[in-house]
Amino acid sequence: MASIDLDKMLLKIKSTQWSLSDIDWDAPGADMITEEQWPKLKEFMADLMWIEHVGARAFAAMSKKAPTDTLKEIYSYFHAEEQRHANAEMALMKRWGMLDGDEIPEPNINLRLVIEWLDRYADEMPLYVLGTVVPMLEIALDGALCKFLLDTVDDPVCHQAFEKINDDESRHLGVGFSVMEMQGHGATYIKTVKMLAPLLDPRLLLGIASYFPLLNKMRDNIVELGLPEEKLYAAMEKFEKIGGRTADGRSNPWFQIIRQHAKFVVNRSNRIYHVPVDAMVKLTGYIPKRALPAVPSWVKELTYRPSA
Amino acid sequence: MSTETRTETDSAKPQQKAASKPAAKRKPAAAKPRAVKSAAVKKAPSKARARKDEVAARCEVLIIGAGFAGLGAAIRLRQQGIEDVVILERAGDVGGTWRDNTYPGAACDIPSNLYSFSFAQNPEWSRSFSGGPEILKYVHYLTDTYHLRPLIRFHENVASLSYDQAQGLWRAVTGDKVFEGRSVIMAQGPLSNASLPDMPGIDTYQGHKIHSAMWDHDYDFTGKRVAVIGTGASGIQIIPELVKKAGFVKVFQRTPGWVLPRPDFQTPDWNRGLFRRFPASQDAMRKALFMFHESMALGIIWNSPLTRLIERIGKAHLRFQVKDKWLRRQLTPDFRIGCKRVLMSSDYYPALQKENCKLITWPIARLSEKGIRTVEGIEHQFDCIVFATGFDVSHSGTPFPVSGIDGRQLNEEWSRGAQAYKSINVSGYPNLFMTFGPNSGPGHNSALVYMESQIDYAVRGIRALRDGNLKALNVKPDAQAAHNEAIQKRLAKTNWNSGCKSWYLTEDGFNATMYPGFATQFARQMADLDLDDYELIIAN
Repeated sequence: MASIDLDKMLLKIKSTQWSLSDIDWDAPGADMITEEQWPKLKEFMADLMWIEHVGARAFAAMSKKAPTDTLKEIYSYFHAEEQRHANAEMALMKRWGMLDGDEIPEPNINLRLVIEWLDRYADEMPLYVLGTVVPMLEIALDGALCKFLLDTVDDPVCHQAFEKINDDESRHLGVGFSVMEMQGHGATYIKTVKMLAPLLDPRLLLGIASYFPLLNKMRDNIVELGLPEEKLYAAMEKFEKIGGRTADGRSNPWFQIIRQHAKFVVNRSNRIYHVPVDAMVKLTGYIPKRALPAVPSWVKELTYRPSA
Repeated sequence: MSTETRTETDSAKPQQKAASKPAAKRKPAAAKPRAVKSAAVKKAPSKARARKDEVAARCEVLIIGAGFAGLGAAIRLRQQGIEDVVILERAGDVGGTWRDNTYPGAACDIPSNLYSFSFAQNPEWSRSFSGGPEILKYVHYLTDTYHLRPLIRFHENVASLSYDQAQGLWRAVTGDKVFEGRSVIMAQGPLSNASLPDMPGIDTYQGHKIHSAMWDHDYDFTGKRVAVIGTGASGIQIIPELVKKAGFVKVFQRTPGWVLPRPDFQTPDWNRGLFRRFPASQDAMRKALFMFHESMALGIIWNSPLTRLIERIGKAHLRFQVKDKWLRRQLTPDFRIGCKRVLMSSDYYPALQKENCKLITWPIARLSEKGIRTVEGIEHQFDCIVFATGFDVSHSGTPFPVSGIDGRQLNEEWSRGAQAYKSINVSGYPNLFMTFGPNSGPGHNSALVYMESQIDYAVRGIRALRDGNLKALNVKPDAQAAHNEAIQKRLAKTNWNSGCKSWYLTEDGFNATMYPGFATQFARQMADLDLDDYELIIAN
């Protein structure tokens, strides 16, 4: 992917804003969700919404670290846009009667751990770490999950909302890959070693310890929902394909790490990876809620209401 | 010359006219102005054609603006025996900034004992940081005590200012009148024009709109849903007041600023009594405050260990007042302290955390019929939107067209960033003195301290014209260039030029606003009128 003009991208982002009130959430079609779909979809939407929200927090951290004012502003928009996606998805859940009153659906424990990690450490992470992980999460989870949703749900309002969400996401990915290439540009031995140094940072290790099980957990959830896991893998391979299109992209050591990790995830027969990570998923399932600190206040910013 | 209305044409006032010969005699700058006095006796025959415009007043000094700077200049001129002064004021009363900014909570963020003229101190300040009404009262006190009202022409909004080289006169056109002066002091204020910001959809919003600098005192905020856009110096003063009254206040912040506690307290009676009886004690207090603010320059203007210390105070203040981690993150500045104006408030953070207040940091997408749509997809609906979005700052233009020798246009010359000699004179615009001209802004000390230095310099210049019987004092272009080169070199090392976006800088990052140094250094810069740096044009 050729590098994009970030100034033009910022203008485009500003000129293509939409809001929840652009969609008629009471339009006919809500009854197109079948009884069989409903319980699965409820869980699926809650996960999706939380992933958007987690993505939002990551963009907030990246905004603090961005090297230029333009990129800073772009990330602050992406932060808000991911939140908008979460809000829109919550509005869909409301439309489909999946919300318990005004309650925000509970995140699963692996998401909860990632939220905790983001809240504590994300702001201290270098841009190239989050700048590579976030496109991966977006392409894999957003890409695969959204596609699955549109393939299985006929509700026109859902399609209307996701058309807008996907337009935003394509810009997020465009910028994401472009920044990965920027970070890989002019790689030297010293630069590469420097970029890999955070791997020794215990804070990052904790992040990895919550990211690995999250992916496996999401894979399990997807399988449970009836989505062939190959679709998730196909989306993850896209990361390798697009991210590795240019020499700059390939020379970003974090691209190589995430790409290699994606290969582990995709290869179910890699027992050295999957046995311990699956065990972690299981183990984390035993963490009592009481053991976790109160959710950070940014989590409570979610709303399904188009106006406030 | 008094200020009475004059209707004569130029030809009727021969003593006011200068030679009509295109090239006035130019005197070597090094020569003393007194030496040319005799030249003034010779009057060249006028070729100036009679103008059709009515000259409402012709005077020795024309002052534009009746705020602190304009009034202060008039006081100092008169103290120097220069009585022939006309002040043009666009509004119906004096006060400038303090007449216009009457929003609830308006106050100065510099202690009152320092935010006042040293030559007219007020022992009666009721608080350490007095509010807008009390400062305005002080401005009225100055006006009345020094009998300035007769000098002021109210409702005269200057539309253009041009220099008549032949006559050596400045001509200010206001609506249908013309005012002429040998010298002009531009004291219209650097932050005197405000307008609603150019935000998408601003015209579609159907609710009430108020700009902080044009407050609507008839609007009742009780129980209303209110938005405040902007968290700069005005915003942080308005918000605590609105939260007391409104039903709900949402604060829209783009960039969080550094907020330091403001030690605002009521002045005890004994203190006022002391200042009244022993004015020297107030002088001492003023000096102490001045020195304290001067020392802050070390941390605010330049990056030094003191910068880190002041930042720590700011962060401790935030941590002490805001318990929620995310809100703290939202309020934590990401630029070096001093890069933008440091905010002073002890009640802003607590106000944000009141039940009926919420800080919104999502970018604004557009204004809609009912409110503000932010990028997280939500329309926030309001009865009223308060725009605390600051002022129209022109770094490269002038508030009205100013044309100098040979019709040169100041806004054209400044199109790549304003510059002047010692902030006060511009080459090609003789006898034109500016208050808060290019690179005269303080970041750490009282604006009035800087203003006094500028006023006294202008008075010195005007006296030199009179004493030397000069037609004009025109700063040499090379003196101006040398001054600016030095200023820009010094600015490069300051916190203002350290990477943040602020109203101090042009779009290209050129700093035409601030003075890179201590107030003491600025005062020293302005202490001498070095006639070597000027072309002296003899009156003949």
